[in-house]
Amino acid sequence: MEYVAGLAGLEVGDDGKKELAGQLSRILDYVEQLNRLDVSDIGPAPPVVAGGKNVLRDDRVAARTGSSEAGKTVGLFRVPKVITER
Amino acid sequence: MNLKGITAEKLVALYRNRDLSVTEVISGLFDDIERIDPNVRAFITLMRDRALKDARSLDARIASGDTIEPFAGVPVAVKDNISIRDVATTCGSRMLESDVAPYTATAVERLRGAGAIVVGKTNLDEFGMGSSTENSAFFVTRNPHDLDRVPGGSSGGSAASVASGMSLAALGSDTGGSIRQPASFCGVVGLKPTYGRVSRYGLVAFASSMDQIGPLSKSVREAAMALAVISGLDHYDSTSSGARIGDYVRGLDRPIKETRIGIPKEYFAGNLDPEVRRKIESAIGLFEGLGCAIEEISLPHTEYAIATYYIIAAAEASSNLARYDGVRYGLSETGRNPGEMYRRTRMSGFGTEVRRRILLGTYALSAGYYDAYYNRALKVRTLVLRDFQKAFEGVDAILTPTTPTTAFRIGEKTADPLEMYLSDVFTITCNLAGLPGISVPCGWNSTGLPVGMQLLANHFQEGLLLRLAHYFEKAGGFTL
Repeated sequence: MEYVAGLAGLEVGDDGKKELAGQLSRILDYVEQLNRLDVSDIGPAPPVVAGGKNVLRDDRVAARTGSSEAGKTVGLFRVPKVITER
Repeated sequence: MNLKGITAEKLVALYRNRDLSVTEVISGLFDDIERIDPNVRAFITLMRDRALKDARSLDARIASGDTIEPFAGVPVAVKDNISIRDVATTCGSRMLESDVAPYTATAVERLRGAGAIVVGKTNLDEFGMGSSTENSAFFVTRNPHDLDRVPGGSSGGSAASVASGMSLAALGSDTGGSIRQPASFCGVVGLKPTYGRVSRYGLVAFASSMDQIGPLSKSVREAAMALAVISGLDHYDSTSSGARIGDYVRGLDRPIKETRIGIPKEYFAGNLDPEVRRKIESAIGLFEGLGCAIEEISLPHTEYAIATYYIIAAAEASSNLARYDGVRYGLSETGRNPGEMYRRTRMSGFGTEVRRRILLGTYALSAGYYDAYYNRALKVRTLVLRDFQKAFEGVDAILTPTTPTTAFRIGEKTADPLEMYLSDVFTITCNLAGLPGISVPCGWNSTGLPVGMQLLANHFQEGLLLRLAHYFEKAGGFTL
């Protein structure tokens, strides 16, 4: 569980660890029922979008309000340092 | 001004004839909200100033003789995972508590373009993860019919606001039943459109292959009106569809005689509450009386749907929520290195259910387990989809209960997450298959709690669903 938490960018504190482990294994036990089905000849579900295709727009510059505008109003974003020395 | 007993169409007609001004209605509505919401707690953010400003400019337009739009001056509420520019979009999470949206969701843009006035942002289970609105990081919303019970979830605030007359319609989002289940618990209409029918631009992502925005309203007609406005292609959402938008409102009165309605036997086995069963059985009788052909059908993979859904939804959520890293959005905790900063931010920003699902999803996607869990779930999803494809060769629509029980008590299911997941049994197949579904009130149980009936149809058959629901509503008279 600690390994998975690490992958997920989470921590598992000692507090409530047992409870969480119990809940997750109950859910995984429940999910086990999927093994009763033979899916060897079945493909993964296609995207349920109409026609199974993405709807793409033309690659043209267009005016829009939104995130680019947010950058304009505040000038710059200040973010925490995410580069470390080795 | 009491919104009970008034419809959107009636309200717009009153404005048009200048029997009422928009400003007096909206200002009276906020008085109602002040009185009702301290008990129900449907809203995270109220938008009084902006709503009154919109109301005044609409009044000026009406006074100058402008023609007004179908939703002109109609008060609507918006679930707080749908963005409105310059307003906080919290998703019911500490992570985004102070995050202000830089743009407006397409569905909201379109509703406002049709004249609707947004009165506020409604409470939800954090990031849409829950079935009771108890997973909101801020407070629990209560069912207006019984304040000791949950309103359902995750769009519980939207459902409660409509049911208690604090808005005439609302937007919600539905990933596994989050519009239909609270609609059922609160006695209102809730429509989950076909995946792709409504743009998701501006909806904060939970499980992207299933998320869909849709309306909640008191009557079917308002749901039809809202769907007609919010549907359609949007170049900001590559999964939105350009499929023809039906004339949902005028189509309501087209004949339904000889429509074939399937009753899936798997939805009537197991833990279905006997009172809910009786209401659904009389709903079936009512459709027979309206000249529909009723047929028993089978959707054999129904029993696998919850397991399939919780793997796929958790996997997608674990990926979607990776973006909350303390750098790009909302909350940011400090740490001695980036890894510690991510972990601290995510530990203080996410509630327990969200963390549980991220862990489950990360596990299902991790090396060595991907095939056993995620890939297998995707294959079973194919089987669920095929069940429906086969069923729709023989029937036009499918009728089921929306939920196995009526609204449960606050706290009743919080100790056991699996128990809570199981309450979504009838609503999640629709999301796995990308189908449209609607929940319509079909009566009350012996303690006065609403019971909901669900109708499902093939992709893009919202017109048929709304029509069936409309006939049922007229014949049954179960509207609040």
